[in-house]
Amino acid sequence: MRWIVFQRFAISCIIALVTLPVAARTRPHYGGTLHVETEGDPWQRPNGIARRLVYDGLTTLDSRGTVQSALATGWESDNADHRWQFRLRPGVHFHDGSPLTATAVVQSLNLDCPANCPWVAVRAVGSIVVFTSDAPMPNLPALLAGDQFLIALTVTEDGKTPNGNIGTGPFQVTSFNNELLTLSANETCWQGRPFADAIEIRSHRPVHDQWLDLSIGRADLVEVPAEMLRQAQQQRLTVLVSPPAFLLGLQVTDNGALANTMLRAAIAASIDRSVIANVIFQKQGEATASLLPQSLTGFSFLFSVDRDLNKAHELRGGLNTPTLTLSVDGDGAMRLASQRIALNMKEAGINVQEVNSGGTSHADLMLRMIPLEGGEPSAVLESVSRSVGTAATPADASPASLYKTERDFLERHTLIPLVDLPNAYAIGARVRDLALDADGLPDLAGASLGDAP
Amino acid sequence: VSLRQRLLLLFSLTVAAAVAAVAWTVLVRIRHVFEQRDQEETALFVSQFQREFQQRSAEVAAAVDRLAAGERARGMAFQIVQSGDASPYLTEAQSMAPDAQLDFLEIVGPDGNVVSSAQWPARFGYFEPVAGEDQPTFLKTEDLPDGSSALGLFAFRAVGHSESTAAERVCLLGGKRLDKSFLADLAVAPGMQIALYRDADQRPAEEPPFLGPDFAVFDPKRMISASGEVPDAARYESLIRNAIRSGQQTSSIIYLTNRREESVSATAIPLKSDNGAVLAVLIVALSREGMVQAQQHIRTIAYGVASGGILLAIACSLWIAARVSRPIEQLAHAAEEVASGIWDVRVPERGHDEVSVLARSFNHMTEQLASQREQLVQSERVAAWRELARRLAHELKNPLFPLQLTVENLVRARELSEEEFDEVFRESTATLSMEIANLKTIIGRFSDFSKMPKPELERIDAKDVIDRVRSLYEGAATREAKIDFVTEIADEPMTIMVDPELLHRALSNLVLNAMDAMPNGGKLTISARPQGANIEIRVADTGEGLTQEECERLFTPYYTTKVHGTGLGLAIVQSVVADHGGTIAVESHAGSGATFIITLPRANQGHRLAKS
Repeated sequence: MRWIVFQRFAISCIIALVTLPVAARTRPHYGGTLHVETEGDPWQRPNGIARRLVYDGLTTLDSRGTVQSALATGWESDNADHRWQFRLRPGVHFHDGSPLTATAVVQSLNLDCPANCPWVAVRAVGSIVVFTSDAPMPNLPALLAGDQFLIALTVTEDGKTPNGNIGTGPFQVTSFNNELLTLSANETCWQGRPFADAIEIRSHRPVHDQWLDLSIGRADLVEVPAEMLRQAQQQRLTVLVSPPAFLLGLQVTDNGALANTMLRAAIAASIDRSVIANVIFQKQGEATASLLPQSLTGFSFLFSVDRDLNKAHELRGGLNTPTLTLSVDGDGAMRLASQRIALNMKEAGINVQEVNSGGTSHADLMLRMIPLEGGEPSAVLESVSRSVGTAATPADASPASLYKTERDFLERHTLIPLVDLPNAYAIGARVRDLALDADGLPDLAGASLGDAP
Repeated sequence: VSLRQRLLLLFSLTVAAAVAAVAWTVLVRIRHVFEQRDQEETALFVSQFQREFQQRSAEVAAAVDRLAAGERARGMAFQIVQSGDASPYLTEAQSMAPDAQLDFLEIVGPDGNVVSSAQWPARFGYFEPVAGEDQPTFLKTEDLPDGSSALGLFAFRAVGHSESTAAERVCLLGGKRLDKSFLADLAVAPGMQIALYRDADQRPAEEPPFLGPDFAVFDPKRMISASGEVPDAARYESLIRNAIRSGQQTSSIIYLTNRREESVSATAIPLKSDNGAVLAVLIVALSREGMVQAQQHIRTIAYGVASGGILLAIACSLWIAARVSRPIEQLAHAAEEVASGIWDVRVPERGHDEVSVLARSFNHMTEQLASQREQLVQSERVAAWRELARRLAHELKNPLFPLQLTVENLVRARELSEEEFDEVFRESTATLSMEIANLKTIIGRFSDFSKMPKPELERIDAKDVIDRVRSLYEGAATREAKIDFVTEIADEPMTIMVDPELLHRALSNLVLNAMDAMPNGGKLTISARPQGANIEIRVADTGEGLTQEECERLFTPYYTTKVHGTGLGLAIVQSVVADHGGTIAVESHAGSGATFIITLPRANQGHRLAKS
């Protein structure tokens, strides 16, 4: 009997010992350094990966796109959304130890948005930040969750400009040398300490090199451009793909020869969106003629994505236009897409010459990647339309109003939607519990590191 | 131009023309030989270059062949045919092209559409017109995304097995760009330059290709070499035009500057597409600097030799001309001396040629002339002596006859009474004295002529001398001979350097002669006036005048037209005038009087001449 008891005890111990690592593997571990590699600048908008780690917004969006409190614990609107006040979360400190104040928030917002802001004025009243505007701002809480309005310390307590990037986020900047940005965990973060002790972000790394580093364990998180998603899957990388996070759109000026709306409409009709989505972006994007993705509104299909060259010719009406200039904000697939657009337009009798992105502000056409920020459809619509300089705000949140607002905006043809694209990352085997935010960026603060298999 | 100069010119021109003709012939021949050699060399180099070009074409074809036969392309082709989805291979050409060192690469799907393009990635899905059967290397103008176009050397190959059906064929269209890098890679001979004249990089799509037979605008910027734009591209315009117009290889010599050595022997090779359209013109230019320098070196030597020959010829001509012309010049000089009165001239007699015969004849002639002149002088001397004797006899005979008669009367008077004798004696002695005085006068005149005094010059006005003569003879002339004595003197001063006495004597002689010429009265005019640098004094009468013969002999000593004249008066006048540096002449016609014209130099000039 005793032997049986002993046997049972021994077996239980053995089972416990065997199952212990399994249980440990599923439970987040604190510690370790997460190695991230990016092709661009980690601080660059709109998808600079370091920004979300170091800074917080007044609000944030959960994975479903719902607005949640962040640095602001609550908000109310008055005067039919003409005035908003946000109450700051108490006890929040910047990385340098200085407290988060309404004044610091106002200074940061004014620096972030010197012009074309959703509001007319922002001011600090005690621990409250007050936004006022001549027009209603129904989407302000959602807009403030965007990458553009993250709060950074702009002036220290002694009135000086801070040395480096200081925010309230889960990680703080330790060093930035030789394109290697080192972040360390913010022990006093208002959200709680992140699992990883540090994150090293190696910037300006070609995608193929990132993938190589991932395969040999030198990187834990690397980028996967949409056009390479299929290739990544073929290589059996563990890929996290977001819902449509960016809109590839062609911004069209309404000056000069392009002041003619018909000509802008001809351009829209001449572009073969399907080819761009299916070939250039390897079927990883969704051809679209609407600002908001189908998954967000459900009525995107009402805007036809088909190319109609005859209609383009008809709209152009035999008008002999001067050679237009086209700039592209990006490389690789973006540049290829711009060449294809130029080719499409040439077939419609509209000559286009590509120019360097350095001359972006002077180009007639700009191919841009616009983030679909805001969560709510109306907020996304306003965010997208604001990115091209014109705010399209629905009268209310009803689908009909949303559709009408979007249609009215699109009929101006100052922004021609082309493809909705996801954001994607490949992760290493030791990364645990990593998810993508609503804006498609990885939530590294919630990720932990396990042992490599 | 002297005979010597003419001879020299003739000899020099003859020799120079001969030397120049020889030099020209040699130079033309040399140039012809050099140009022939240059053409052969150029043809050789062009041939070598064409082989090099063909080698490059073969390399392009081989590169495309290797790609088409490679595992990567075969796998891709299999996947495309099997899946029907070519989109995964969108960037395949971009990655394959650098591996094969190709500038252009397009993957063409079974439907003939571009699957992937290295040079224009966005061109996927568009139909490729070249798609079809495998082709050898060919030229093609490729459009590029920036709106430009580029000329390339292409090869088209099917991937995998050639027996695949058209619906299963995936093909590769690869090529190399014909640009300055391509030209730089070509192996060329030293001194050779390769250039390419091609379509503009930026040409509106609606414009037709520029290199048609009727292309009009030549743009030097379209001509490139390995080092970029060709600086003297415009000089090649006619060559390129000819090559395009004819569609054939064309050669020509292009002068890049005004200096001959900066020229090239250029060959333009039209590069054509499959349909025969000229896409570009390849220019192979071989520097002629070495050849031209050698040619110029030879020419310099030829010119030097020719110049030396001509100088030597001139020197020889000079010697020959001198040798030929010297006796003739001596003869001419001697003849001039003979003409001037120097008759005892002799010229050297050398050799036995015609010139020496002429010299001997000349010497003989001068000897004869001298001999005859001597005889003539002797004859004239005898004649002069005879004339002198006649004159003396004549002059002396007149007083001698009364003397004889008087002496005979005196002898006869011895028989008369003393009173009568005394009377006769007185008369006879008076006559004797008078005749003896007359003889003395005659002898004195002859003595005066032989002893003319030396003039003592003074600065006087000619008017004073004339006035003095007039005051002396006007009264007698008017009273006794009823001669109207007229003087016509110019108002301005007429200063002359003369001996007043001698001039007075000369003028008096002329006045007395004039008075003698008008025994029945008349008009005697003395006039004086400036005549340039001289003073002209005229003594004119209205007597019988003189014959032509008399005029010619008038100043000969002892010649006279008077019955009792000695013939020395006018000779004395001429002697006086000559001693003062002047001249005397006579104008007369029978029956219309005679005018003697004395010309004397003005004061300064006359003084100088008198001294000289």
